[in-house]
Amino acid sequence: MKVIMIVFVFFTFSSCWTKVKPVYPNNNYQRVWGNKPIYDVTANAKLISYHNTAEPVLMPGNIYVKDNFIYQLETGKGIHVIDNSIPSQAHRVGFITVNGSSQISIKNNLLYTNSYDDLVVIDISNLNSLTEVKRVPGAFPEGRFNYYYIEPIESGYYECPNYDSVVVGWRKDSIWASCYKN
Amino acid sequence: MNSLVKQLFAFLILVLVISSCSKDGTEKANATSSTGKGGSLSKFTIVGNFLYAVDNHYLYSYDISNPSNPVRTNTSEINFDIETIYPFNNRLFIGTRTGLYIYSLDIPATPVKVGEAQHARSCDPVVANDSIAFVTLKGNSFCGPAESGLYVHDIRNIFQPLLIKTVAMANPEGLGLQGSYLYICCNNEGLKVFDVSVPANPVEVKTVTGSYFKDVIPYGNQLICYVSTGINLYDISNPSDPVLVKQINN
Repeated sequence: MKVIMIVFVFFTFSSCWTKVKPVYPNNNYQRVWGNKPIYDVTANAKLISYHNTAEPVLMPGNIYVKDNFIYQLETGKGIHVIDNSIPSQAHRVGFITVNGSSQISIKNNLLYTNSYDDLVVIDISNLNSLTEVKRVPGAFPEGRFNYYYIEPIESGYYECPNYDSVVVGWRKDSIWASCYKN
Repeated sequence: MNSLVKQLFAFLILVLVISSCSKDGTEKANATSSTGKGGSLSKFTIVGNFLYAVDNHYLYSYDISNPSNPVRTNTSEINFDIETIYPFNNRLFIGTRTGLYIYSLDIPATPVKVGEAQHARSCDPVVANDSIAFVTLKGNSFCGPAESGLYVHDIRNIFQPLLIKTVAMANPEGLGLQGSYLYICCNNEGLKVFDVSVPANPVEVKTVTGSYFKDVIPYGNQLICYVSTGINLYDISNPSDPVLVKQINN
């Protein structure tokens, strides 16, 4: 009789046990070879800097002109600076690193751009010692989920990025095929 | 005699008041020239003390009179697929995949939609002056089914933009307007120069070829072109005949 009771109790609670079996977070997805996000610490990714050498132009974006300088966005990475004082000798002079950027406007010596979902104001009076005057976090809410590196460049399976971190690039790896780009 | 003095005095005050007004005016003009100039594919623009920015859905207005503390004064939901923003005088012209929207900046902190022109689904940067808005529509698999070309809208009645002319052309993208000349980037088809002194009848005066043209900024005597291989600079001292000055390669 005692044995029957134990078995009965066992069966009663067994339904509970099956519910707490470990659920692997990606167990709905197949394991494939695809793109995996490269994250950076948000504070690092948002650092603004300038270096006075030309950077390769990979994903050119918007252009802007003021006085003797032409600016062109490197989508998601920053801003190319071109010295146009003598148009026939115009040349690239440097690069302003602003990760997550795609837009630019300038008033006086202040450059306004976006960095992920933030609005950033940069004093460019002296490029070699530029300063971040102000960062307005969350100024453009869409920018948190919609910036250039949120998706890999090529089509195919990729690991959905974590929106609480900042994606600065992609690399090939064995991944759970949780997202797909056409 | 006494009344004459009074009149003179009143006249003097009037002159003083008027002169101070005109001084304000020039100061404002200087203030606007302190900004640069963006291409027609931009989503950021500064007018006076305000930064206007669009993302896919919203127009954000930021008061930047104190640059170290920009303050958002307004958020307007516009539509889906906003692509570009272009300022002229007291107005913002916003290009979306489905239409052109005109916002008044009479109260700079809170832009108000005053007019719109719907069009077939396409990519559509816009440039404008007081009376005319020029829109290029690019129809393709990505942008939508509209017929590609230049669409000219009469905006003298800002509440009701009127399509007065379409000029079919392949692959139009960014465009720039200076005086009575319109420069249109047509990718591999080249950069087309139009005389638009009669806006209802744009006359093509030249096509510059040799690059894949994406966007353009007329800046005084210079035409700055974003091309697939880098930046091309042209001299437009003669606005109808851009002369290549420099290619800055990627």
